Amino acid sequence: MVQANLDELSAALKTVQKELTSKFGKKLLETSTFRGELTLVVAPEDWIAVLTYCRDSETLGFDRLDCLFGNHYPERADQPFEVVANLTSIPNTTRVRIKTRLADGESLPTATGLWPSAGFDERETWEMFGVVFDGHPNLQRLLLISDFQGFPLRKDFPLEGLVGGRIRTDLKGKL
Amino acid sequence: MEEGSAFVGIERPKAPPLPDIDLADALKNPTDADLNRVLEGEGHIPGVIPAQLDRLLNFGASFSFWPLLFGLACCAIEMMSCAGPRWDIARFGMEAMRASPRQADGMIVAGWISLKMAPRVIRLYEQIPDPKWVLVMGSCATSGNIWNTYNVVQGADAIIPVDVYVPGCPPRPEALWQGLELIRDRVKQGKHAYDGLRTIPARVAIGE
Amino acid sequence: MSAPSQDQAPPAATTLRPTLEELRERKARSRQPVHGDREVLTVSMGPHHPSMHGVFRAEVDFDGEVIVATRPEIGNLHRGVEKLAESLTYHQVIPLTDRLHYVASFAQNHGYCEAVEKLIGMEAPPRARFIRTMAHEMTRISNHLLWLGIHIMDFGAITFQQICFREREYMMDMFEMLCGARLTHSYCRIGGVAKDLPDGFAERMYGALDFLPTRISEYERLIDKNRIFLGRAKDVGIFTSEDCAAWRVTGPALRAAGVARDLRKDEPYAAYPEIDFESAVEYEADVYARYRVRMREMRESVKIIRQCLENMPEGPVLAKDAAHVIPEKKDVMRSSAAMIQDFMQVFQGPQVPAGEVYRAVETPHGELGFHVVSDGSPKPQRLHIATPCFFHCQATTPMWEGEMLADVVGIFGSVDVCLGSCDR
Repeated sequence: MVQANLDELSAALKTVQKELTSKFGKKLLETSTFRGELTLVVAPEDWIAVLTYCRDSETLGFDRLDCLFGNHYPERADQPFEVVANLTSIPNTTRVRIKTRLADGESLPTATGLWPSAGFDERETWEMFGVVFDGHPNLQRLLLISDFQGFPLRKDFPLEGLVGGRIRTDLKGKL
Repeated sequence: MEEGSAFVGIERPKAPPLPDIDLADALKNPTDADLNRVLEGEGHIPGVIPAQLDRLLNFGASFSFWPLLFGLACCAIEMMSCAGPRWDIARFGMEAMRASPRQADGMIVAGWISLKMAPRVIRLYEQIPDPKWVLVMGSCATSGNIWNTYNVVQGADAIIPVDVYVPGCPPRPEALWQGLELIRDRVKQGKHAYDGLRTIPARVAIGE
Repeated sequence: MSAPSQDQAPPAATTLRPTLEELRERKARSRQPVHGDREVLTVSMGPHHPSMHGVFRAEVDFDGEVIVATRPEIGNLHRGVEKLAESLTYHQVIPLTDRLHYVASFAQNHGYCEAVEKLIGMEAPPRARFIRTMAHEMTRISNHLLWLGIHIMDFGAITFQQICFREREYMMDMFEMLCGARLTHSYCRIGGVAKDLPDGFAERMYGALDFLPTRISEYERLIDKNRIFLGRAKDVGIFTSEDCAAWRVTGPALRAAGVARDLRKDEPYAAYPEIDFESAVEYEADVYARYRVRMREMRESVKIIRQCLENMPEGPVLAKDAAHVIPEKKDVMRSSAAMIQDFMQVFQGPQVPAGEVYRAVETPHGELGFHVVSDGSPKPQRLHIATPCFFHCQATTPMWEGEMLADVVGIFGSVDVCLGSCDR
């Protein structure tokens, strides 16, 4: 059922890939095309540089950050965390995915300077995975109570049971 | 006992006659048995309020139950449909969903309760003046439904005393209406979920 | 005075389209100046408040009546859908997606199934694609009717909520006829839809489509030139296209800012390539423009549903793919091959290739994106849902700044937020 030509990039995405590889070369650690989508893996040091170029380049024009979120691969011992950004270009209707891999405890610079919508995204990624974003104006719990213990979306956090927090009866302090 | 009626030939059981009680004495010295009966909701200190007047007031109150506007999630949309033109709970005097708990007669908890929302539910419940009734709408508020996760309280009765549970996901407006009819029965009887409780389940769980 | 023709829409946006610079100027003029040095009063709005948009809380700083700063607080409805999805098979996640934006449930089912089908590399059969398109547009009408009722009620015309619920009941009746549920449909399946159109559905749907445009015209007659509505909605809450791109605001709010972005046309899915429709674009970028966009979208949805019913192809509603599809119940009860397929799909799950995809669809409130990461097992390794309402809640910070207290509820209502979708 799965055909090889399902993964082929469209012409517009092929030019995007060409431009990014010519600009960044070796800094794109991995490039993959799956189901017609372009995914690039970069190192944490090049995260902001690549995102800035994608946004500011005249030809690429990725003016919107559709979402930024994290993922946890416990089987990867050296770099278990991943931060993924899906970018969209509204005038060209193209999409690209930039990913970076992080070690436990490694932090990433914030993208809120590029797109203010990354504010909530990065807060959620921090509270679910524990990935710190340097320079974020307000890195606090967003969806959970402010004194929640643990990072729920990590694979070793239990799904069931109120393990991170307890039912409180008062509104004192930040909820 | 006319011919043709359901009780032909059967002696209808008569209620036992009320004991003669000296009013003045009852007011001054209620016995332990009297106090227990009041706490369990089965009566009142005899002679303080005539039983018939109480029943009349409850009957009137049942036609004017004003719930607190407390729709949390999907069930809130069905609650709004129930208040909408087709099912129209305004016929029963319940369309006045109050925004302020001080003006409400009870709560319709419609939706799951997250850890963040739980203290707010408790505070709103405690701010509603007595007498109050709680109708828990939907499976999420009844038991947590499919959301058995790290952030959802598995049922509103873990935190507040509940009178009526309406299961469904979401319950049809007719189901909510039947639940509201059960609430009206409770109002008429003058029974509450908190009768016999010293404090709400959330505070019991914490040990306050 | 003769009434205008009931079925025709009022004319589209005027030819005097404001440019981005003009919109920026209008925004600066319509908002009040914010002085950084004044003493502010902090008010906590929510999470229990009567403007009925869900349990949203915002800590707002006021200088008199003018908003100086906003700190939105969400998470009162967080359930952990993304974590729960990691422990369920791909089929079992469909009812979870229903309950995200519960006013337009099928739209989310549809988006999720499109994403998983992209991951698998399969397509739904033609009849299923038309049914999905039709059901998606039914949710668009149903969502916009509820939005209209509550939005106008927020402005003070309380009867409107009852009127729009009356209309919405007809649409919910159609859904009940189609899939058995009024609100949380769970009608879409990986590989198609759960079951075929029942007998008599097309006739009843045509009946509903005949009177819906007359009702929409009635609402427009009441609201379009209403002095109160114009005063509270014109030049209020201007959010330009560059703001929308920076804050990831999509859907009617983006189209009201002049950007002709509609995923049904830009990244077509289901039967949209075969349907003739216009996407509604306005250029004023204020609350009034977003109202106009949604009214026009309702009319276009009526057109789309009519075309779907007229051009509905014959055929199955589920793909013949034993590795990924739960077969129709009528086959399961009659054929042993289908029963075995059903057993494997329900107890084991679909055999999905490893990889990750991101697929977005144009739901009634914006672009809903599903990012599915698969490691080859029948359960997702990670499911991230990029809901439009999450970003619309964040966008209250720039949208409310400099506006007056009285406009807060109008602006918030015009971006149509649902907290279930925001908090997941």
